[in-house]
Amino acid sequence: MSEDIHALSGAYAVDALDDVERARFERHLAGCTACQAEVESLVAAASELSVLTEVAPPASLKAKVLAEIATVRPLPPLPVQQDDPADETVTSTPPAPVQEQTSTPAAESGSRVEHGDDLAGRRRSRQTRGLARGWRVVVAAATVAVLAIGGFTVWRQIDKDPSRAIADQVLAAPDATRYGARLAGGATATIVRSNALHKAVIVTSGMSQPPTGKVFQLWLQDATGHMTSAGLMPGGGDQVVVLNGDASHSKGAGITVEPDGGSDQPTSDPVAFIAFA
Amino acid sequence: MDPMSRFSVVPSGDHSPGGPARPSAPEQLLRPAATGDETAFSELYDAVSSRLFGLVRRVVRDPAQSEEVTQEVFLEIWRHSARFDPSKGAALSWMLTIAHRKAVDRVRSAEAARHRDEGYGASNQDVTHDSTAEAVVERLDAERVHRALETLTPVQRQALELAYLSGYTHTEVATMLDLPLGTAKTRIRDGLIRLRDTLGVTL
Repeated sequence: MSEDIHALSGAYAVDALDDVERARFERHLAGCTACQAEVESLVAAASELSVLTEVAPPASLKAKVLAEIATVRPLPPLPVQQDDPADETVTSTPPAPVQEQTSTPAAESGSRVEHGDDLAGRRRSRQTRGLARGWRVVVAAATVAVLAIGGFTVWRQIDKDPSRAIADQVLAAPDATRYGARLAGGATATIVRSNALHKAVIVTSGMSQPPTGKVFQLWLQDATGHMTSAGLMPGGGDQVVVLNGDASHSKGAGITVEPDGGSDQPTSDPVAFIAFA
Repeated sequence: MDPMSRFSVVPSGDHSPGGPARPSAPEQLLRPAATGDETAFSELYDAVSSRLFGLVRRVVRDPAQSEEVTQEVFLEIWRHSARFDPSKGAALSWMLTIAHRKAVDRVRSAEAARHRDEGYGASNQDVTHDSTAEAVVERLDAERVHRALETLTPVQRQALELAYLSGYTHTEVATMLDLPLGTAKTRIRDGLIRLRDTLGVTL
Protein backbone atom coordinates (compact mmCIF):
# COMPACT_ATOMS: atom_id res chain seq x y z
CA MET A 1 0.00 0.00 0.00
CA SER A 2 2.71 2.48 0.87
CA GLU A 3 3.88 2.97 -2.72
CA ASP A 4 0.32 4.14 -3.36
CA ILE A 5 0.09 6.71 -0.70
CA HIS A 6 1.58 9.62 -2.62
CA ALA A 7 -1.23 9.19 -5.12
CA LEU A 8 -3.71 10.30 -2.45
CA SER A 9 -2.38 13.87 -2.52
CA GLY A 10 -4.98 15.08 -5.01
CA ALA A 11 -7.91 13.47 -3.26
CA TYR A 12 -6.61 14.84 0.04
CA ALA A 13 -6.37 18.34 -1.41
CA VAL A 14 -10.05 18.28 -2.32
CA ASP A 15 -11.22 16.53 0.88
CA ALA A 16 -12.12 13.39 -1.06
CA LEU A 17 -10.61 10.89 1.38
CA ASP A 18 -12.60 9.06 4.01
CA ASP A 19 -11.57 9.35 7.63
CA VAL A 20 -9.27 6.34 7.63
CA GLU A 21 -7.51 7.30 4.42
CA ARG A 22 -7.10 10.84 5.67
CA ALA A 23 -5.57 9.59 8.89
CA ARG A 24 -3.16 7.43 6.94
CA PHE A 25 -2.26 10.15 4.50
CA GLU A 26 -1.71 12.80 7.15
CA ARG A 27 0.66 10.45 8.94
CA HIS A 28 2.54 10.10 5.71
CA LEU A 29 2.35 13.80 4.97
CA ALA A 30 3.98 14.71 8.25
CA GLY A 31 7.24 13.21 7.04
CA CYS A 32 7.06 13.75 3.29
CA THR A 33 8.08 17.23 2.16
CA ALA A 34 7.43 16.38 -1.49
CA CYS A 35 3.82 15.58 -0.68
CA GLN A 36 3.50 18.70 1.46
CA ALA A 37 4.60 20.89 -1.42
CA GLU A 38 2.36 19.07 -3.85
CA VAL A 39 -0.67 19.27 -1.59
CA GLU A 40 -0.16 23.00 -1.10
CA SER A 41 -0.05 23.61 -4.82
CA LEU A 42 -3.05 21.38 -5.49
CA VAL A 43 -5.06 23.07 -2.75
CA ALA A 44 -4.31 26.39 -4.42
CA ALA A 45 -5.35 25.00 -7.79
CA ALA A 46 -8.59 23.56 -6.43
CA SER A 47 -9.50 26.81 -4.76
CA GLU A 48 -9.46 28.49 -8.19
CA LEU A 49 -12.53 26.42 -9.02
CA SER A 50 -14.54 28.36 -6.49
CA VAL A 51 -14.68 31.26 -8.93
CA LEU A 52 -17.22 29.16 -10.80
CA THR A 53 -19.57 28.88 -7.85
CA GLU A 54 -19.65 32.43 -6.51
CA VAL A 55 -22.96 33.33 -4.95
CA ALA A 56 -23.55 36.23 -2.62
CA PRO A 57 -24.92 35.06 0.72
CA PRO A 58 -28.17 36.51 2.04
CA ALA A 59 -27.58 39.97 3.45
CA SER A 60 -28.72 38.82 6.88
CA LEU A 61 -25.73 36.50 7.22
CA LYS A 62 -23.24 39.30 7.67
CA ALA A 63 -24.95 40.64 10.76
CA LYS A 64 -25.03 37.16 12.27
CA VAL A 65 -21.34 36.62 11.57
CA LEU A 66 -20.33 39.99 12.99
CA ALA A 67 -22.49 39.53 16.06
CA GLU A 68 -20.96 36.15 16.69
CA ILE A 69 -17.32 37.08 16.27
CA ALA A 70 -17.81 39.99 18.64
CA THR A 71 -18.30 37.42 21.39
CA VAL A 72 -15.19 35.38 20.64
CA ARG A 73 -11.56 36.27 21.11
CA PRO A 74 -9.20 35.36 18.26
CA LEU A 75 -6.66 32.74 19.22
CA PRO A 76 -3.12 33.91 19.82
CA PRO A 77 -0.49 32.98 17.24
CA LEU A 78 1.22 29.67 17.64
CA PRO A 79 4.31 30.29 19.73
CA VAL A 80 6.70 28.54 17.37
CA GLN A 81 6.34 27.98 13.69
CA GLN A 82 8.23 24.88 12.78
CA ASP A 83 8.71 23.57 9.32
CA ASP A 84 10.15 20.28 10.37
CA PRO A 85 8.86 19.52 13.80
CA ALA A 86 8.97 15.79 13.59
CA ASP A 87 11.59 15.65 16.29
CA GLU A 88 9.87 17.98 18.65
CA THR A 89 9.04 16.12 21.78
CA VAL A 90 6.06 17.26 23.70
CA THR A 91 6.72 17.88 27.31
CA SER A 92 4.12 18.47 29.94
CA THR A 93 3.80 22.02 28.64
CA PRO A 94 1.64 21.93 25.57
CA PRO A 95 2.94 24.03 22.70
CA ALA A 96 -0.40 25.48 21.76
CA PRO A 97 -2.53 27.54 24.06
CA VAL A 98 -5.31 26.03 26.07
CA GLN A 99 -7.50 29.10 25.65
CA GLU A 100 -9.08 27.37 22.76
CA GLN A 101 -10.86 25.25 25.27
CA THR A 102 -11.98 28.02 27.54
CA SER A 103 -13.53 30.00 24.73
CA THR A 104 -15.56 27.05 23.60
CA PRO A 105 -17.51 25.57 26.43
CA ALA A 106 -20.03 24.24 23.95
CA ALA A 107 -17.47 21.72 22.85
CA GLU A 108 -17.92 20.01 26.18
CA SER A 109 -21.39 18.90 25.43
CA GLY A 110 -21.94 15.68 23.65
CA SER A 111 -23.96 17.21 20.90
CA ARG A 112 -23.01 18.75 17.65
CA VAL A 113 -22.21 22.38 18.04
CA GLU A 114 -24.09 24.45 15.56
CA HIS A 115 -22.28 27.65 16.25
CA GLY A 116 -19.71 28.92 18.65
CA ASP A 117 -17.20 26.20 18.00
CA ASP A 118 -16.24 24.09 15.09
CA LEU A 119 -14.97 20.70 14.31
CA ALA A 120 -11.80 21.83 12.70
CA GLY A 121 -10.91 23.95 15.67
CA ARG A 122 -11.42 21.01 17.93
CA ARG A 123 -9.49 18.83 15.58
CA ARG A 124 -6.54 21.12 15.63
CA SER A 125 -6.56 21.60 19.32
CA ARG A 126 -7.18 18.09 20.46
CA GLN A 127 -3.52 17.50 21.08
CA THR A 128 -3.40 20.39 23.46
CA ARG A 129 -6.56 19.47 25.23
CA GLY A 130 -5.56 15.89 25.46
CA LEU A 131 -2.44 16.85 27.34
CA ALA A 132 -4.21 19.43 29.38
CA ARG A 133 -6.74 16.87 30.44
CA GLY A 134 -4.24 14.42 31.73
CA TRP A 135 -4.03 12.07 28.81
CA ARG A 136 -0.39 11.44 29.43
CA VAL A 137 -1.16 7.76 29.67
CA VAL A 138 -2.06 7.80 26.06
CA VAL A 139 0.34 10.35 24.73
CA ALA A 140 3.20 9.82 27.13
CA ALA A 141 5.77 9.62 24.41
CA ALA A 142 4.43 11.63 21.60
CA THR A 143 5.69 13.89 18.94
CA VAL A 144 3.82 16.68 17.30
CA ALA A 145 3.90 17.37 13.64
CA VAL A 146 2.87 20.76 12.44
CA LEU A 147 1.60 20.65 8.92
CA ALA A 148 0.79 23.84 7.19
CA ILE A 149 -1.59 23.02 4.42
CA GLY A 150 -2.81 25.88 2.31
CA GLY A 151 -1.54 28.13 5.03
CA PHE A 152 -3.47 26.34 7.72
CA THR A 153 -1.44 24.93 10.50
CA VAL A 154 -2.61 21.51 11.45
CA TRP A 155 -1.43 19.93 14.63
CA ARG A 156 -0.84 16.29 14.39
CA GLN A 157 -0.07 14.06 17.23
CA ILE A 158 2.08 11.16 16.35
CA ASP A 159 2.61 8.49 18.89
CA LYS A 160 6.09 7.17 19.13
CA ASP A 161 6.83 3.50 18.86
CA PRO A 162 5.28 1.13 19.23
CA SER A 163 1.81 2.62 19.00
CA ARG A 164 2.36 4.71 15.92
CA ALA A 165 4.05 1.92 14.05
CA ILE A 166 1.29 -0.49 14.98
CA ALA A 167 -1.37 1.94 13.86
CA ASP A 168 0.37 2.48 10.55
CA GLN A 169 0.71 -1.24 9.99
CA VAL A 170 -2.90 -1.97 10.83
CA LEU A 171 -4.21 0.85 8.64
CA ALA A 172 -2.13 -0.42 5.72
CA ALA A 173 -2.58 -4.15 6.37
CA PRO A 174 -3.74 -6.19 3.38
CA ASP A 175 -6.38 -7.87 5.54
CA ALA A 176 -7.50 -4.64 7.21
CA THR A 177 -11.25 -4.69 7.64
CA ARG A 178 -13.34 -1.69 8.58
CA TYR A 179 -16.34 -1.47 10.84
CA GLY A 180 -18.00 1.89 11.19
CA ALA A 181 -20.41 3.64 13.48
CA ARG A 182 -21.95 7.05 13.61
CA LEU A 183 -22.06 8.81 16.94
CA ALA A 184 -24.47 11.38 18.22
CA GLY A 185 -23.85 14.78 16.75
CA GLY A 186 -22.45 13.61 13.43
CA ALA A 187 -19.15 12.23 14.73
CA THR A 188 -17.92 9.00 13.23
CA ALA A 189 -15.84 6.14 14.58
CA THR A 190 -14.28 3.50 12.40
CA ILE A 191 -12.53 0.42 13.66
CA VAL A 192 -9.85 -0.94 11.38
CA ARG A 193 -8.89 -4.47 12.34
CA SER A 194 -6.18 -6.74 11.05
CA ASN A 195 -6.55 -10.32 12.23
CA ALA A 196 -3.10 -11.13 10.88
CA LEU A 197 -1.67 -8.48 13.18
CA HIS A 198 -4.16 -9.27 15.97
CA LYS A 199 -4.72 -5.54 16.41
CA ALA A 200 -7.45 -3.00 15.95
CA VAL A 201 -7.22 0.76 15.54
CA ILE A 202 -9.99 3.25 16.06
CA VAL A 203 -10.19 6.32 13.82
CA THR A 204 -12.61 9.00 14.94
CA SER A 205 -13.77 12.20 13.35
CA GLY A 206 -15.59 15.07 14.95
CA MET A 207 -15.85 13.59 18.45
CA SER A 208 -16.60 15.90 21.31
CA GLN A 209 -14.63 16.07 24.51
CA PRO A 210 -15.72 13.89 27.42
CA PRO A 211 -17.40 15.79 30.26
CA THR A 212 -15.10 17.30 32.85
CA GLY A 213 -13.66 14.65 35.15
CA LYS A 214 -14.51 11.91 32.68
CA VAL A 215 -12.59 10.03 30.03
CA PHE A 216 -13.40 7.99 26.98
CA GLN A 217 -12.53 4.34 27.46
CA LEU A 218 -12.28 1.70 24.77
CA TRP A 219 -13.50 -1.87 25.19
CA LEU A 220 -13.21 -5.10 23.30
CA GLN A 221 -16.08 -7.56 23.58
CA ASP A 222 -15.44 -11.28 23.50
CA ALA A 223 -17.75 -14.03 22.22
CA THR A 224 -19.47 -14.29 25.61
CA GLY A 225 -20.30 -10.61 25.66
CA HIS A 226 -17.65 -9.79 28.26
CA MET A 227 -16.00 -6.39 27.88
CA THR A 228 -12.27 -5.99 28.41
CA SER A 229 -10.67 -2.58 28.63
CA ALA A 230 -8.70 -1.65 25.54
CA GLY A 231 -7.33 1.56 27.00
CA LEU A 232 -8.27 5.21 27.16
CA MET A 233 -8.88 7.48 24.23
CA PRO A 234 -8.66 11.25 23.92
CA GLY A 235 -11.77 13.08 22.82
CA GLY A 236 -12.06 15.91 20.38
CA GLY A 237 -11.65 16.03 16.66
CA ASP A 238 -9.84 13.30 14.78
CA GLN A 239 -8.09 10.54 16.67
CA VAL A 240 -6.18 7.45 15.68
CA VAL A 241 -5.76 5.12 18.64
CA VAL A 242 -4.57 1.53 18.84
CA LEU A 243 -6.79 -0.65 21.00
CA ASN A 244 -4.89 -2.54 23.67
CA GLY A 245 -5.15 -6.29 23.55
CA ASP A 246 -5.62 -8.94 20.92
CA ALA A 247 -8.58 -7.92 18.81
CA SER A 248 -8.53 -10.83 16.41
CA HIS A 249 -11.18 -12.86 18.27
CA SER A 250 -13.24 -9.95 19.51
CA LYS A 251 -16.83 -9.58 18.44
CA GLY A 252 -17.04 -5.88 18.81
CA ALA A 253 -15.62 -2.71 20.34
CA GLY A 254 -17.24 -0.04 22.43
CA ILE A 255 -16.56 3.44 23.73
CA THR A 256 -17.89 4.48 27.12
CA VAL A 257 -17.56 7.56 29.26
CA GLU A 258 -15.82 6.67 32.52
CA PRO A 259 -14.51 8.53 35.56
CA ASP A 260 -10.96 9.91 35.22
CA GLY A 261 -8.45 7.10 35.10
CA GLY A 262 -10.90 4.67 33.57
CA SER A 263 -12.77 1.69 34.98
CA ASP A 264 -12.28 -2.06 35.15
CA GLN A 265 -15.72 -2.63 33.71
CA PRO A 266 -17.98 -0.24 31.82
CA THR A 267 -20.07 1.84 34.20
CA SER A 268 -22.23 3.46 31.57
CA ASP A 269 -23.94 2.63 28.33
CA PRO A 270 -21.57 2.92 25.40
CA VAL A 271 -21.61 6.11 23.35
CA ALA A 272 -20.73 3.85 20.47
CA PHE A 273 -20.66 0.11 19.96
CA ILE A 274 -19.21 -1.31 16.81
CA ALA A 275 -19.92 -4.95 16.03
CA PHE A 276 -17.25 -6.81 14.06
CA ALA A 277 -19.75 -8.34 11.69
CA MET B 1 -1.62 29.34 -30.61
CA ASP B 2 -4.34 28.15 -28.37
CA PRO B 3 -6.42 30.61 -26.46
CA MET B 4 -4.66 29.62 -23.25
CA SER B 5 -1.47 31.32 -24.30
CA ARG B 6 -2.44 34.71 -22.96
CA PHE B 7 -3.02 33.10 -19.60
CA SER B 8 0.11 31.06 -19.71
CA VAL B 9 2.38 30.41 -16.80
CA VAL B 10 3.63 33.34 -14.85
CA PRO B 11 6.98 32.80 -13.21
CA SER B 12 6.05 33.84 -9.72
CA GLY B 13 4.06 36.05 -7.46
CA ASP B 14 0.83 37.07 -9.09
CA HIS B 15 -1.82 34.62 -8.02
CA SER B 16 -4.19 35.86 -10.68
CA PRO B 17 -2.38 36.12 -13.97
CA GLY B 18 -5.45 36.69 -16.11
CA GLY B 19 -6.93 40.17 -16.15
CA PRO B 20 -6.54 42.69 -13.38
CA ALA B 21 -4.78 41.32 -10.35
CA ARG B 22 -7.14 40.33 -7.59
CA PRO B 23 -6.64 42.71 -4.71
CA SER B 24 -4.52 41.21 -2.00
CA ALA B 25 -7.03 42.54 0.46
CA PRO B 26 -7.69 39.28 2.28
CA GLU B 27 -4.08 39.10 3.45
CA GLN B 28 -4.14 42.74 4.51
CA LEU B 29 -7.42 42.34 6.36
CA LEU B 30 -6.57 39.13 8.15
CA ARG B 31 -3.74 40.68 10.09
CA PRO B 32 -5.84 43.33 11.87
CA ALA B 33 -8.58 40.75 12.37
CA ALA B 34 -6.07 38.71 14.34
CA THR B 35 -5.83 41.57 16.81
CA GLY B 36 -9.58 41.70 17.20
CA ASP B 37 -10.32 44.41 14.63
CA GLU B 38 -13.97 43.78 13.82
CA THR B 39 -14.08 46.51 11.18
CA ALA B 40 -11.31 44.86 9.23
CA PHE B 41 -13.13 41.57 9.55
CA SER B 42 -16.29 43.18 8.23
CA GLU B 43 -14.34 44.30 5.15
CA LEU B 44 -12.88 40.85 4.82
CA TYR B 45 -16.38 39.44 4.89
CA ASP B 46 -17.39 41.73 2.03
CA ALA B 47 -14.33 40.73 0.04
CA VAL B 48 -14.65 36.96 0.29
CA SER B 49 -18.15 36.01 1.39
CA SER B 50 -19.41 35.30 -2.14
CA ARG B 51 -16.53 32.96 -2.82
CA LEU B 52 -16.91 31.13 0.47
CA PHE B 53 -20.68 31.00 0.57
CA GLY B 54 -20.88 30.00 -3.09
CA LEU B 55 -18.54 27.07 -2.55
CA VAL B 56 -20.32 25.96 0.60
CA ARG B 57 -23.66 26.31 -1.13
CA ARG B 58 -22.48 24.26 -4.07
CA VAL B 59 -21.32 21.43 -1.82
CA VAL B 60 -24.04 21.54 0.83
CA ARG B 61 -26.89 22.67 -1.46
CA ASP B 62 -29.42 23.20 1.29
CA PRO B 63 -29.66 27.00 1.67
CA ALA B 64 -30.27 27.09 5.42
CA GLN B 65 -27.47 24.65 6.15
CA SER B 66 -25.17 26.51 3.79
CA GLU B 67 -25.70 29.64 5.81
CA GLU B 68 -24.99 27.81 9.05
CA VAL B 69 -21.81 26.32 7.67
CA THR B 70 -20.67 29.66 6.25
CA GLN B 71 -21.21 31.24 9.64
CA GLU B 72 -19.08 28.53 11.24
CA VAL B 73 -16.44 29.13 8.59
CA PHE B 74 -16.20 32.83 9.34
CA LEU B 75 -16.00 32.16 13.04
CA GLU B 76 -13.16 29.76 12.43
CA ILE B 77 -11.37 32.27 10.22
CA TRP B 78 -11.77 34.90 12.92
CA ARG B 79 -10.47 32.63 15.63
CA HIS B 80 -7.54 31.34 13.61
CA SER B 81 -6.62 34.56 11.81
CA ALA B 82 -3.37 34.89 13.74
CA ARG B 83 -2.37 31.42 12.64
CA PHE B 84 -2.63 31.98 8.94
CA ASP B 85 0.81 31.51 7.42
CA PRO B 86 1.19 33.56 4.22
CA SER B 87 4.27 31.59 3.20
CA LYS B 88 2.07 28.54 2.67
CA GLY B 89 -0.44 30.01 0.28
CA ALA B 90 -2.88 32.80 -0.38
CA ALA B 91 -5.30 33.88 2.31
CA LEU B 92 -8.27 33.25 0.05
CA SER B 93 -7.08 29.72 -0.58
CA TRP B 94 -6.70 29.19 3.16
CA MET B 95 -10.22 30.41 3.80
CA LEU B 96 -11.61 28.31 0.98
CA THR B 97 -9.87 25.27 2.44
CA ILE B 98 -11.65 25.84 5.73
CA ALA B 99 -14.96 26.39 3.96
CA HIS B 100 -14.60 23.30 1.82
CA ARG B 101 -13.70 21.03 4.68
CA LYS B 102 -16.62 22.21 6.75
CA ALA B 103 -19.00 21.89 3.86
CA VAL B 104 -17.81 18.36 3.19
CA ASP B 105 -18.05 17.46 6.88
CA ARG B 106 -21.60 18.71 6.92
CA VAL B 107 -22.73 17.02 3.78
CA ARG B 108 -21.28 13.70 4.84
CA SER B 109 -23.10 13.61 8.13
CA ALA B 110 -26.12 11.39 7.92
CA GLU B 111 -28.72 14.00 8.56
CA ALA B 112 -27.33 16.46 6.09
CA ALA B 113 -27.16 13.76 3.45
CA ARG B 114 -30.87 13.22 3.82
CA HIS B 115 -31.59 16.92 3.46
CA ARG B 116 -29.37 17.15 0.47
CA ASP B 117 -31.06 14.30 -1.30
CA GLU B 118 -34.42 15.88 -0.76
CA GLY B 119 -33.21 19.23 -1.96
CA TYR B 120 -31.20 17.98 -4.90
CA GLY B 121 -32.21 19.63 -8.11
CA ALA B 122 -34.51 22.11 -6.46
CA SER B 123 -31.56 24.02 -5.10
CA ASN B 124 -29.25 23.26 -7.97
CA GLN B 125 -28.72 26.88 -8.72
CA ASP B 126 -26.39 28.43 -11.17
CA VAL B 127 -23.78 31.04 -10.54
CA THR B 128 -25.17 34.49 -10.10
CA HIS B 129 -23.28 37.67 -10.61
CA ASP B 130 -24.71 40.81 -9.23
CA SER B 131 -22.74 43.97 -9.65
CA THR B 132 -21.16 45.34 -12.75
CA ALA B 133 -17.46 46.12 -12.46
CA GLU B 134 -16.79 43.20 -10.16
CA ALA B 135 -18.82 40.94 -12.35
CA VAL B 136 -16.57 41.68 -15.31
CA VAL B 137 -13.48 40.70 -13.37
CA GLU B 138 -15.26 37.63 -12.06
CA ARG B 139 -16.36 36.67 -15.53
CA LEU B 140 -12.78 36.88 -16.75
CA ASP B 141 -11.65 34.77 -13.83
CA ALA B 142 -14.40 32.26 -14.44
CA GLU B 143 -13.64 32.16 -18.14
CA ARG B 144 -10.01 31.51 -17.38
CA VAL B 145 -10.91 28.61 -15.09
CA HIS B 146 -13.41 27.25 -17.58
CA ARG B 147 -10.73 27.25 -20.26
CA ALA B 148 -8.30 25.56 -17.95
CA LEU B 149 -10.89 22.90 -17.18
CA GLU B 150 -11.25 22.30 -20.89
CA THR B 151 -7.65 21.12 -21.00
CA LEU B 152 -8.54 18.23 -18.69
CA THR B 153 -9.78 14.95 -20.05
CA PRO B 154 -13.54 14.50 -19.56
CA VAL B 155 -12.94 11.91 -16.85
CA GLN B 156 -10.45 14.10 -15.02
CA ARG B 157 -12.90 16.98 -15.13
CA GLN B 158 -15.85 14.94 -13.96
CA ALA B 159 -13.86 13.31 -11.19
CA LEU B 160 -12.57 16.65 -9.98
CA GLU B 161 -15.98 18.29 -10.09
CA LEU B 162 -17.66 15.45 -8.24
CA ALA B 163 -14.97 15.49 -5.59
CA TYR B 164 -14.45 19.22 -5.11
CA LEU B 165 -17.76 20.75 -6.05
CA SER B 166 -20.04 17.96 -4.85
CA GLY B 167 -18.02 16.66 -1.91
CA TYR B 168 -17.89 12.98 -2.84
CA THR B 169 -15.00 10.74 -1.80
CA HIS B 170 -12.76 9.35 -4.50
CA THR B 171 -14.25 5.91 -3.85
CA GLU B 172 -17.74 7.25 -4.47
CA VAL B 173 -16.48 9.07 -7.55
CA ALA B 174 -15.03 5.82 -8.90
CA THR B 175 -18.39 4.12 -8.53
CA MET B 176 -20.30 7.02 -10.06
CA LEU B 177 -18.02 7.16 -13.08
CA ASP B 178 -17.63 3.41 -13.43
CA LEU B 179 -13.91 3.66 -12.93
CA PRO B 180 -11.86 0.76 -11.63
CA LEU B 181 -11.46 1.07 -7.88
CA GLY B 182 -8.47 3.20 -7.04
CA THR B 183 -8.26 5.10 -10.30
CA ALA B 184 -10.52 8.01 -9.40
CA LYS B 185 -7.87 9.33 -7.01
CA THR B 186 -5.38 9.31 -9.84
CA ARG B 187 -7.80 11.14 -12.14
CA ILE B 188 -8.42 13.73 -9.46
CA ARG B 189 -4.71 14.23 -8.90
CA ASP B 190 -3.87 14.35 -12.61
CA GLY B 191 -6.71 16.78 -13.20
CA LEU B 192 -5.57 19.06 -10.39
CA ILE B 193 -2.00 19.01 -11.63
CA ARG B 194 -3.12 19.97 -15.10
CA LEU B 195 -5.37 22.67 -13.73
CA ARG B 196 -2.54 23.99 -11.59
CA ASP B 197 -0.07 24.03 -14.46
CA THR B 198 -2.52 25.55 -16.93
CA LEU B 199 -3.54 28.30 -14.52
CA GLY B 200 0.06 28.90 -13.56
CA VAL B 201 -0.83 28.61 -9.90
CA THR B 202 2.07 29.59 -7.74
CA LEU B 203 2.31 29.75 -4.02
